[in-house]
Amino acid sequence: MNIWEKMLNLDRRWIFLLMGLACIIPFFTPLGLPILPSQEVISIYDYIEELDKDNAIFVGFDFDPGTAAENQPMGEAVLRHAFSRGIPVFITSVTPLGQGLASMAVDRLTNPENDNHFVLVRWEEWASLREQGLTDRDDIIAAWEAEGHSLNANSRGWVFEGRDLAHLGYLPYFSLVILGMTSSITSQYPEDVSGNPVAEMPMYQEHKSLRDIDLAVTNSGTAAVTYWVIYGREKIGLPVAFGVTAVSATDYYIYIQSGQIIGQMGGLRGAAEYETLLMGWSDDGTQRVVYSTEPGDAFIGMDVQSIAHLLIIFFVVLGNIAYFAGGFNKQSKLKGRR
Amino acid sequence: MKRAVPLAIVMVGGILFIIQYFIPHQYSQTLFDYYTEWVPIVGAFTVILGVGSLTRLHKHKIKRKAPNWPYSWAVLIPLYAVPLFALILPEAIGGGMLQSMGGERTSPGVFDFAYLNIQVPIQSTMFSLLAFYIASAAFRAFRAKSVLATVLLFAAVIVMLGQVPIGELIGKWFPKIGLWILRYPNTAGKRAIALGVGFGMLATQLKIIFGVERNWLGGAGS
Repeated sequence: MNIWEKMLNLDRRWIFLLMGLACIIPFFTPLGLPILPSQEVISIYDYIEELDKDNAIFVGFDFDPGTAAENQPMGEAVLRHAFSRGIPVFITSVTPLGQGLASMAVDRLTNPENDNHFVLVRWEEWASLREQGLTDRDDIIAAWEAEGHSLNANSRGWVFEGRDLAHLGYLPYFSLVILGMTSSITSQYPEDVSGNPVAEMPMYQEHKSLRDIDLAVTNSGTAAVTYWVIYGREKIGLPVAFGVTAVSATDYYIYIQSGQIIGQMGGLRGAAEYETLLMGWSDDGTQRVVYSTEPGDAFIGMDVQSIAHLLIIFFVVLGNIAYFAGGFNKQSKLKGRR
Repeated sequence: MKRAVPLAIVMVGGILFIIQYFIPHQYSQTLFDYYTEWVPIVGAFTVILGVGSLTRLHKHKIKRKAPNWPYSWAVLIPLYAVPLFALILPEAIGGGMLQSMGGERTSPGVFDFAYLNIQVPIQSTMFSLLAFYIASAAFRAFRAKSVLATVLLFAAVIVMLGQVPIGELIGKWFPKIGLWILRYPNTAGKRAIALGVGFGMLATQLKIIFGVERNWLGGAGS
């Protein structure tokens, strides 16, 4: 067995070890490589940037923990953008586990220990303001702060449950749920996950069906994202944006080209691009608001992905060099077992 | 009779809801609203069937000491224990669940513990293994054996480098060419496949509605 054949029969455990190191080391020594946002992601950001408290969006946590490394930062980034602009957000989930992941995202964004967090005011806490008939966001905030409440130094703003956020959770047969919500959101979700009545929420009073919704951002690692196009976009013209895993991103460029979706975040890269925009990226000459002063998980993870991609390319090149240098392209098969 | 009744239901239901989709009348919408309410109710019964079937299968495996039978306990115990803790048992002994964000309970129950500390890490780990297998498979199988394989290999390398920030440091054109590949050649190929699949689905659905395709009925009555 010559050196080329030995190389081709390299024990796969060495490959696993190197890949493991490539994934771990960048976490301890961040490279901080710059991310250049693509038009597919900028178009989602710009669309949301045009919305405010009088609009409303749906954010779908339509994934399982398996793809959370890619999809969770997308969901968190869009939620951060919406919360910062005071855009009411309905959160839904196509999968049972997605509901818990959505709760974790909200928990993280509203955790007082994190910089740039939001202060969550739960439904029952501001009942007295609703009894006064307050429904406008600015009026609610003014009355709430007049009661003596104030934001922390490192917080970004208030999130009033029922005014800015309704976590609707998981329902089975989600294609039918979307179709049902084209008539009425409460026909599918009479209560949110905490048991609060959706019909009494000010954000529902202003947006009673998907026909009153301005955007649905669905994040998933499966074809569940297409439910929103088939049953939302095509039936009632609901604008839709995708957040998908890198491995499935290639499947959905056709929806961008046809104009059926306004953009997509593809994989960890897409999430990192959105985080870059939230940090006020302005290299394209557009002045953007800074919604976060810290890079998110996806931005940090891109260092790992950079090294991992380089390593895979290195292995591919090495394998081909050994294959041709050893003359194995002229033989029917290798002698080795592997 | 065993075949005729399901075939008739599928034909009438299929044609009805094709027509319903294109009629924006109030009666049509009311019919559809009934349908969206009834489907989850009917679907809920499939959960009973599914749990019953799974239980029977693993019960037999344990009883017969079939190969790997201890794993059947790993299926059956969580299958019943998790809903038991989440929905029936009181919080004092670990029951209940944190359904919403910002829950007030300080210590999570069994359901939340199992979700956060078992199910989430297990699924993440399984998916993470993909990176290792892709690296190994790429090393062994990604060969420039033919012209087409060489084109594929170069396209893959360019897209991979274009997708990561380090690619831009190596060459400013990597992201541009990578995106061009995704936006044009990739879209053209995917569009063709999607149209083919779409027409295939349409043909199959029409065959099912009109009773030409009957495999979904299984062997009952034959």
